Parts: sequence; C-alpha cells; structure tokens
Amino acid sequence: MTDDTTSVEEHLKEIVGEITTKSKVVIERGPVSFFADAVLENSPIYKDPNEARKAGLPDIPGAPTYCIGMEAWGKFPEIQSDDPPPGSPIMKAFGPLMAKGGIILHGEQEFVYHRPIFVGDVLVGEGKIVEAYQKESKGKTMTFVVTETNWVDEKTGEPVVTSLFNVIHRG
Amino acid sequence: MGEQKLFFEDIKEGDSGPSRTHKLTRTDLVRYAGASGDYNPMHHDEIAAQAAGQPSVFGHGMFTMGLLGSAIEDYVGVANLKRYKVRFSRQTWPDEELTTKVVVAKKRNVDGKSLVDLDVRVVNQDGEEKVVGEATAELPSRS
Repeated sequence: MTDDTTSVEEHLKEIVGEITTKSKVVIERGPVSFFADAVLENSPIYKDPNEARKAGLPDIPGAPTYCIGMEAWGKFPEIQSDDPPPGSPIMKAFGPLMAKGGIILHGEQEFVYHRPIFVGDVLVGEGKIVEAYQKESKGKTMTFVVTETNWVDEKTGEPVVTSLFNVIHRG
Repeated sequence: MGEQKLFFEDIKEGDSGPSRTHKLTRTDLVRYAGASGDYNPMHHDEIAAQAAGQPSVFGHGMFTMGLLGSAIEDYVGVANLKRYKVRFSRQTWPDEELTTKVVVAKKRNVDGKSLVDLDVRVVNQDGEEKVVGEATAELPSRS
C-alpha cells in the first residue's frame, strides 16, 4: 500500500512484475490501412489484399509500429476478460511524482517481431512492468518505467509481437 | 515468408536504404492521433500546447518512429523485420523537414539465419537527431 512514508524507491520496487493490461484485439482491414496511411506507408500491400498476396503474405499486414495503435480500434468491449487489472501501476509510481510537477515522456520503444500482424488476426496481449528505476541527469531526477507486452495469436497461441514501452518522468 | 525485396548477398556493410523526406504538417498529427488513438492535446491543440509552455503543437514520437518504420519496410520488407528499437531524443515541430536514414551496420550469420543489423535515425533539415535506433532483419539468401 501507498502512504506518505513510502519512498519512491520502494514504490518502484513494488510495481515490478505487476500486470498493466490484459487485452484482446481484433485486427481489421480499415484501421490497419488507415494507420499505414497515418505513418505515410506508400506500399500497396497495406491497401490491397491482392498486392499483399503477390508479395507472399497471407493478407494485409500491420505497419511495423501498428502494435501501438491497434488497441484504439479493435479492443471490442464484449470480448475482454472479466478480470481486468485494477488501476494503472504506472500511475502508482508517477502519481506522487506528478503531484510535485515535471513531465512524462515516451523515452524508448522497442518491438520484437515473431511474425507480422495480419488482417483477420485476433491477438491477446498481457502487459507487465519489467523495470522501474531512477537516474540523475543534468540535475534532474529521471524515473523510468518499462512495460513489456506480449501479444499472441488467440487461435494458435504462437507469439506475434513483443512491445517494450519505456516511459520517463522528468522532475 | 514474404516480399523478397532484397537478398542477403545483395547488400554490404555501409550500404544505405532508400531515404524518405517529409515536411511535417499539423494534418499529419491529426491523422496520426485518430489512427493511433493518442489524443494527447499537446499534439493537436495549439492553445493547450502554448498554455503548457510549448511554442506550438509537436509531433507524436510514435509518428516519427512510424515514418522511419516505413523507410525500413521499403528496404527490407515488413515480414523480414525481426526487431526495431528507437530512443526519442528530441521533439518534432510542424514545418520541420524530417529525413529518414537507414544504414547497414553489420551482416551476420546466426544458426543458419542471415541477419542484417541496421542503424536507423530521423534528422531534421539542420541534421538535428529526432529519433535514433537500430533494427534487425532476416533476409533470404541466394545460397
């Protein structure tokens, strides 16, 4: 539990291993193509399934960074699990820091691809905090929280993509 | 699987992939907000951004990573991409001219796989780095 006497270091230790999200996402053609447009992809494989097949792919793929946008469109409420994680453990760490000011920045982003995302997939993802630490930089305290989300194919259970999302609070 | 854009034997360390240059507009930011669901007002609401002490709205880091991703995809093919990582070093601003740079850093064979490590970055018209990172692709081999 959080109280005034708990130090930030203790908070950070506490949140490592906590589950941040559980999501099920349906990958649909419209949002996949729209996202590709938004990051200025110019290949026809993002528009036309026949072009994707000509390129040897089973269907229209997601752009390399689509993983970050897919929950905005395909996370339909009726297919989500009945036990979503309570609250955001990231905010548990950043809440007390934000109360004293500073800003939150996206510091780093990494994707590990096991296979591309394709239109027609249903993906299941679970995110958890894998690292949380502080560093001094130019007289400012930087607090880093890294969330790892593993997305798997609901049908086969095979891994599809892993996202490592590193957010920073700069005091 | 996938697009045989390039064979392992066709490239050498130091080679560059095709570069893309794009002048960032506010419309890019609005479209990216809608596509990604990231409606942080710092990226589309000029009044809110200035009230927060910013000179104007600024780009989503993930838009820049996405633009760079499209350049990497152009070069190696989306299905060959195994890993892609960036650090967001500076904000991007409307009217900046963003240029992608994709350079072959290393070729290696690991467990029968032909892997190519790429140094990837986006710079503005003054050469200022916006995102800097690395990517690894597994390319088909002719042998």
